[in-house]
Amino acid sequence: MQVASNFIDQILIFSIFALSLNLLLGYMGQVSVAHASFGAIGGYAVGYMALTYGWNIFVAAAFGALLAGVVGAAVALPALRLSVEYLILLTLGVSSVLLGMFTTFPQLGGTYGLIGIPTASIFGHQLLRTSDWLIPLAVILAIVYGICHRLGESPLGRVLKGIRDDDKVTLSLGKNVVFYKVLIFGITCGLAGLAGGLLAGFNSLATPSQFGFDVSLAIFAMVIFGGTGNLSGSIFGAATVILTKPLLEWAVSLAPETAALWRLTLYGILLVVLMRLRPQGLIPEGVNILHPRTWRTARPLAVTSDQLPKAVVAASQEWETRLEVTETAAQEKQREVKWADAPVVLEVSDLSKSFGSIVAAAELSMVLRKGTITALVGPNGAGKTTVFNLLTGFIQPDTGSVKLNGVEVVGMKPNRVAGSGMVRSWQDVRVIPRLSSLQNVMMGVQDQAGERVIPLFANAGGVRRREREVRAAAMEWLEFVGMTDFADTPTGALSFGQSKLVALARVLSTNADVLLLDEPCSGIDTQWVEAMLSLIEKVREQGRTVCIVEHNLHVVDHLADHTYFMELGRITDQGTFKELTSSPRLAEAYFGTV
Amino acid sequence: MEPSDDRSGTVLEIRGLCCAYGRKQVVFDLDMLVGRGEIVSLFGHNGAGKTTVIKNVLGAYKPSGGTVHYDGVEITGTSARSNVHRGMALIPSERFVFGDLTVYDNLLLGAANLKDGDQQAELLSQVYTLFPILEERSKQLAGTMSGGQQRMVSLGLALMSAPRLLLLDEPSLGLAPAVVQEIFSAVRALADKGLSVLLLEQNVGQALRVSDRAYVMRSGRKILEETAQQMRARDSFWDLF
Amino acid sequence: MLAVTFDTVRQLITSGIVNGSSYGILGVAFALILGVTGRFHFAFGVLYTLAAFFAFTFFDRVGLPFLVSAAAGVVITTVMGVTIEAVIYRPLAARAGSNALLAIFVASLGLTIAGSNLIQIFWGAQTHSLLGIQIKPFELLGANIINIDVYSVTTFVLLVALLSSLLRFTGLGRAIKATRSNPEMALLIGVDPARIYLVVFAIASLLAGTAAIFASLKYSVEPTMGFRPVVLAFVVAFLGGTANSPVRVFLTGIGIGLIETISSIWLPVRWTQLVVFVLLVLYMISFSINRAMFARVRSLFAGKA
Repeated sequence: MQVASNFIDQILIFSIFALSLNLLLGYMGQVSVAHASFGAIGGYAVGYMALTYGWNIFVAAAFGALLAGVVGAAVALPALRLSVEYLILLTLGVSSVLLGMFTTFPQLGGTYGLIGIPTASIFGHQLLRTSDWLIPLAVILAIVYGICHRLGESPLGRVLKGIRDDDKVTLSLGKNVVFYKVLIFGITCGLAGLAGGLLAGFNSLATPSQFGFDVSLAIFAMVIFGGTGNLSGSIFGAATVILTKPLLEWAVSLAPETAALWRLTLYGILLVVLMRLRPQGLIPEGVNILHPRTWRTARPLAVTSDQLPKAVVAASQEWETRLEVTETAAQEKQREVKWADAPVVLEVSDLSKSFGSIVAAAELSMVLRKGTITALVGPNGAGKTTVFNLLTGFIQPDTGSVKLNGVEVVGMKPNRVAGSGMVRSWQDVRVIPRLSSLQNVMMGVQDQAGERVIPLFANAGGVRRREREVRAAAMEWLEFVGMTDFADTPTGALSFGQSKLVALARVLSTNADVLLLDEPCSGIDTQWVEAMLSLIEKVREQGRTVCIVEHNLHVVDHLADHTYFMELGRITDQGTFKELTSSPRLAEAYFGTV
Repeated sequence: MEPSDDRSGTVLEIRGLCCAYGRKQVVFDLDMLVGRGEIVSLFGHNGAGKTTVIKNVLGAYKPSGGTVHYDGVEITGTSARSNVHRGMALIPSERFVFGDLTVYDNLLLGAANLKDGDQQAELLSQVYTLFPILEERSKQLAGTMSGGQQRMVSLGLALMSAPRLLLLDEPSLGLAPAVVQEIFSAVRALADKGLSVLLLEQNVGQALRVSDRAYVMRSGRKILEETAQQMRARDSFWDLF
Repeated sequence: MLAVTFDTVRQLITSGIVNGSSYGILGVAFALILGVTGRFHFAFGVLYTLAAFFAFTFFDRVGLPFLVSAAAGVVITTVMGVTIEAVIYRPLAARAGSNALLAIFVASLGLTIAGSNLIQIFWGAQTHSLLGIQIKPFELLGANIINIDVYSVTTFVLLVALLSSLLRFTGLGRAIKATRSNPEMALLIGVDPARIYLVVFAIASLLAGTAAIFASLKYSVEPTMGFRPVVLAFVVAFLGGTANSPVRVFLTGIGIGLIETISSIWLPVRWTQLVVFVLLVLYMISFSINRAMFARVRSLFAGKA
């Protein structure tokens, strides 16, 4: 009995490690090979506080969790912009520094660590036997699971997955990526500290080897085994890794030491095999073992069909006939007059940016007017996309001002610019492939209670209500682009044209006044181009302000009410598209001297 | 680079080519010919699929449909390596040199497919004659040179493999008109000696000066095929882009 | 502690160079792999350890001459390194696409865990001695070292010189540099990356195996001997720059060896092993700040298709 409960206790403790690492790795996509060393912070806090000040183990573990959380949040800061290989190196360094420090301080017992930590007690009951630990550990694990589940499977979790798969897009949709990264690093390292504290209390000792680098790797393996992005998988992973040893002892009757070695060998080999055959882990993201319906998600994504949504077909046919007809100069002039009458929504003045000797933008001045479509055209390398980056805060200009509805947005971070009502799309679409179309669009909706930590835990009802609203709003936009049939399809399984529609719906769902669309019609076939044109026109009819960068001049010709011509970072001319194309000088700038 | 009188032979023949990047089809049912010693320009807006065409021809990607014949032999879907050995060279529009290698190293890399050391020395001297600056700067890191010089390095690199078909992706990008002219004249001179060139350009004016024929693509499809002379006679190109 | 004699400094510098040159050679190997192939080859440490165990087995158990045993150990490691690339990493990378780095890291982690435990299963957890060369004290410019130090530093310097001449003067070397410098372009000019990767894995495994032989001669052969050198190799590779010449990476290794020993003048010995990692973390922080600025510059050009 005690032997069995010993293993179960270990599974419970390591499940906490694995769950928290999964939130960090599986949900937010941040690699850490230092998880056990954050556990060491908790473990040593327990050992030191219990031995020196006689603290209760559980109180000390909570304190250790807090300490580890603070250190974790601090580590997040340099980790913010690092790619995978640098994250591995950074966390490896952090792990070495932490373990080295614990080994170095004589007050912490040096290489031998802190031994003889007093028996834990809870509400006056001493936890003498391993079976006494079962209930307290199970309760704590349940709470930790609850926290991780709430954070991971919620609107906030959607943001985390967005950060994992494409943090720039997530930022451009108004999410404060820096905040979330620091928050999740802090919370997950804190939970690791808690697990470490419990482990020290359970074993009555805190030693460097208990939290060594190999333990970090083992935790990493548990998460990979179970499946990244699947919380129940992590518990399963922890159980598998821990139970292999007794199973080997029992089934193959190996000596305990040999069994320990074979266990590690086996799971090492399994990791390699797993990566090869089932990289998403044994229980992949989105699968609930208790609900067979969700099992199919495990299958790899395949393009379902490249059918243009029916709803859009009609619109595209209408456009087809319109494309045949060339607008007369008079009709176009009329549009231009309408443009000039519309109120200014965005006013850009004297925007400049240079990188060393390279001038990216020079004294740019332009206006976007309400309910109109403005186009930026110019030869390759003129800096059109750079303008979008400058307007949305992805690049900070050296000088100049950008006033959105009278409010200065220069100096704002991209997420705040998005919040102020100006959102951009990306030329290579950048939908989040593992999220469904609906979830992608839901990411665009602003001001979601479920994306903030306090309401998430304190106001479940409010979060649920708001989530229903968000879903309804997102559904409306999906309907607008004709993609409701694909609401639950992961965008990774959509055709390129379909994902462009989802990306458009996502931008629209932000309710931003100003939409900057980067090559909305590139990379799709004629029929899709027509569908896209009709949608963008509808957006204009709704009174939104649109600016497009587009190389397909055919598209510009039919769509733009007003066109700016860019060369080498400068706006050199403006007017209707026909006015611009009748200028020999611009033709020379665009096509070279003939 | 041997002179050839046979201008009629077809070096590259593309039939019904379809190309896709994963789920995204970029080129649809394209037919195109390049004859011996001919410079053929391929125009089209950004994202029209021009680069995709030449990368599929070279074999960096496998076409999803259609055929490619080179010198009468079908090479659809064969590897870039084998096509380079057959005499194709492609210079991309960006990152076309090995920046942290010397000019000399860059040039020798181009000759990696040659077994014959003498031929290598001869080609090197030809490249140095064509672009004397490369000899002067042979020890300089290619990445530290000016844009125009880097273009010359890339051309030299391609010529070092003694190619018979050169696929050039926007060689004018980011260069001053005078430099563009210099590079285009060099290309014309090579074509006159029998080199076939498929030239992708946005700088229609300069490209037409040296081209024999031209194709125009829009959104992955061919929309026009003309001789350079016919195309020069147009009064505007706006409707082609 | 403040009154440092000239003798002490001389001794510290010498042992700093000796230790640093072994960090350096491992750094060179790891940087070559990461720089050219982009694979985070964590299992490097297991290969290092295996070279030592094979050499030990051939020498001590089979009774082959020392040089033959050492060479056999190194060759086996090299073959294993190449096999790992061909059989495990390459198919994984092809399948994982943009997630290749993480997938390969995990697989490499699996290899590390499995390998280091298999070593214990086959050879036991105890420490062995590889007594291939009798250790003799050696005095160099007034500093006391041992003969093996002289052999190892000389060998490492020779190997680095060989590697950099290979990279500088041969077609293969140029192809390796080309793949590192601009892989897309290398592919376009007909360089076969698969072949280059195999060569790189062979060279790096050979360097690591050689370093392991010297470490076994000087210290001992044990299952955990690979961990610290490998972590230091990562540090050296990143600090030295994975795209830089082997000479520079090697010198970075020596620099780290020197920092480690010289810091013992001011710090208690138990702290000196930490110094490197504290430096690493500081470096990563400053790197992250630089990258923030760099990222802005890059995003400017990223817009161009």
